[in-house]
Amino acid sequence: MPLQFSLQQQSFLPSEERTQIERAQQDPRYFAPLYERYHDAIFRYVYRRVDEEEQAYDITSSVFVKALQSLHKYEYRGLPFGAWLFRIAKSELYQSFRDQKAQRTVSIDKVVLKQVIDEWTEDYTEEDKARLLVALKDLKEQQLQLIEMRFFEKRSFKEIGDICGMSENNAKVKTFRAVLKLKEFFHQKE
Amino acid sequence: MFKILLDRKEPSMEAVRKHQNFQEILAAYNYQKKVNNPWRYWYYPALTICLLLLV
Repeated sequence: MPLQFSLQQQSFLPSEERTQIERAQQDPRYFAPLYERYHDAIFRYVYRRVDEEEQAYDITSSVFVKALQSLHKYEYRGLPFGAWLFRIAKSELYQSFRDQKAQRTVSIDKVVLKQVIDEWTEDYTEEDKARLLVALKDLKEQQLQLIEMRFFEKRSFKEIGDICGMSENNAKVKTFRAVLKLKEFFHQKE
Repeated sequence: MFKILLDRKEPSMEAVRKHQNFQEILAAYNYQKKVNNPWRYWYYPALTICLLLLV
């Protein structure tokens, strides 16, 4: 089963979180409850995108150091704190790809892969699976990110929008276009 | 180009928690803060000059 990282799964109230953020802005030692809440989700987000576990730990650690360094700039304007952390994680990840410290990786569960193919073809075959994997490689990075978050990580459009810095509607439209592109590439490989 | 990994095993929550903790992050943050402080090169010379002036 694919692991869920939904930000909506967090049981804490935003007002409680806001208080914790304000306290942490005064003293970084009070960042601990926020760290405990988001560390695992951030780690898994990073882990699924790099090929080595140790790199995932290093990147996660730099995400939280960066978050502490810029915590004073964080202001609650509707963007959930978790999404703000994911944005830092995204930027740290791409920095490490640019510096060639990590290899861009896409982690996919076979069950999810089958679900995607089942929607497009009548009978799922091993050949279809191979074709979809090749088709994925033809996508642009942003399209791949959207497919990855929506289908492989089962995120909502709201979350995708928050992480990518776009509106929920825009995330929906762009994901739809990315799926069309993927489908097109998939059928081209026949 | 990216790599595709199928059915990759993920470390458990417990293992992740054991591997990294908040104290390490806080220590790294404090170290960075110290290193990035522009006054750190001036602190000891300024202190020495003040002491010399006092003497």
